[in-house]
Amino acid sequence: MSELEIVLTINGKKRKVKTTTSTRLLDLIRDDLHLTGTKEGCGKGECGACTVIMNGELVASCLVLAPQADGVIITTIEGISHGEKLHPIQDAFIETGAVQCGFCTPGMILAAKKLLEENPYPDEEEIKRGISGNLCRCTGYQKIIDAIKLAANRLSVSDNKRGEKDA
Amino acid sequence: MEEFSPGLQGIENFSGGEHKKSQKALPGHYFAPQKIEEALEILSQRGRDTKVIAGGTDLLVQYYDRLYEIGIWLDLKNIKELKNIRINKNVMEIGAMVTHTQLENSVYIKKYYPVLCQAAADIGSPQIRNRGTIGGNIVNASPAGDLLAPLMAYKVQFRLLSIKGEKIIPAEEFFIGPKKTILRADQLLSEIILPLSEKHTYGSWIKIGKRKALIIATITLALIVRMDKDNEIIEDVSVCLGSVAPTPIEIKEIKGKMIGKKIKQLDFNQLGQIVEDKISPIDDIRGTREYRKDVAKNIMIKALEEIDSACGGGINE
Repeated sequence: MSELEIVLTINGKKRKVKTTTSTRLLDLIRDDLHLTGTKEGCGKGECGACTVIMNGELVASCLVLAPQADGVIITTIEGISHGEKLHPIQDAFIETGAVQCGFCTPGMILAAKKLLEENPYPDEEEIKRGISGNLCRCTGYQKIIDAIKLAANRLSVSDNKRGEKDA
Repeated sequence: MEEFSPGLQGIENFSGGEHKKSQKALPGHYFAPQKIEEALEILSQRGRDTKVIAGGTDLLVQYYDRLYEIGIWLDLKNIKELKNIRINKNVMEIGAMVTHTQLENSVYIKKYYPVLCQAAADIGSPQIRNRGTIGGNIVNASPAGDLLAPLMAYKVQFRLLSIKGEKIIPAEEFFIGPKKTILRADQLLSEIILPLSEKHTYGSWIKIGKRKALIIATITLALIVRMDKDNEIIEDVSVCLGSVAPTPIEIKEIKGKMIGKKIKQLDFNQLGQIVEDKISPIDDIRGTREYRKDVAKNIMIKALEEIDSACGGGINE
């Protein structure tokens, strides 16, 4: 195990981090950058608790070696609100009661964000597929799906409004 | 970090990210060269101590609690030529670093190899498909690797490179056991080569597992049928299965029963029975030998029915 330094942009900030060749991106995010919203569940890519958005793609940060993240752009759950103002998906999760123990929530919200960026009007099956890499042990899936539907509605409404203003 | 001067000297130079020329190559080095030649040079000198990492979705699970054991990481992420899907005369060349998501979304793959496209879409989860690669799936050589039966059914060949040159090997010679291939420590899988599928080629893909997402297959089946120009007579067929033997396998015995015939003349039950008889599954946590034998027969019949309806059902009557 030897040390090396990587540079990455995380939640809009450029960070230089000393790491090792046996460190996972997940550990770097939690232990070195102290962003503990990203959780470790299984450590084997099966639960999605460690989900982050890396270079625009949903990834399991437990399956990325820290040196592989040199030069990447990452968004974690800490990066999606604007200060105190929550992201519409976060609001929708709260209003719908889609959070029970909360451990899967950061990953679920990032998966939902990515899904709605690619597909602003998903049907229920598409929502299920979008969050198929994220496990909720409280099994509150229905409320999570409801929350994503609510967020999709609001985001598309605000998109339309923006469109009207532009016009 | 991506700069690399080939040769052991380069490895020594790299340690600690600084130019400490006196330091020997200690365990724990990470290279991400931009050129294939540089990767081959590392493999030729230190192949035995090196783990080649593509998406890492299998490797980081295998080495979950012992990442420190890996002496040298060779990351292929910066080698652009390994990320292409392109037609080259009458073959499709898929770079080893093409991800499952790319396979799923590629217009070429959808058009020429729909069964491969569907198999890629069935892998793991969005998180896994975004990182996992076709090359990783092949070199990992799990008997349950989702892409392996479809690739074999499309008559795949693999391009293996080393500093000594290239070798092109068909799948049935490449896989030699569970997680075992003929790939030498100094070799790299660079490309996956598929003949362009012709008109009137139909395919069926069936994956059986305990849930839809994030499941290692209990059994997979890929059936590819090529009809003649009138869409009547079967000209060629291949059926390949995964998770039923030490390697993905093709059931060649069905060829004689199918080629030269119309679909309506086939005995689906008999063909299913041949598949059941020719596989050698084991009992494991995903299913018993007996279960796999039963299911193999049933999914062969189902795949034939799908091809039948895709061809137009009663078109020949």
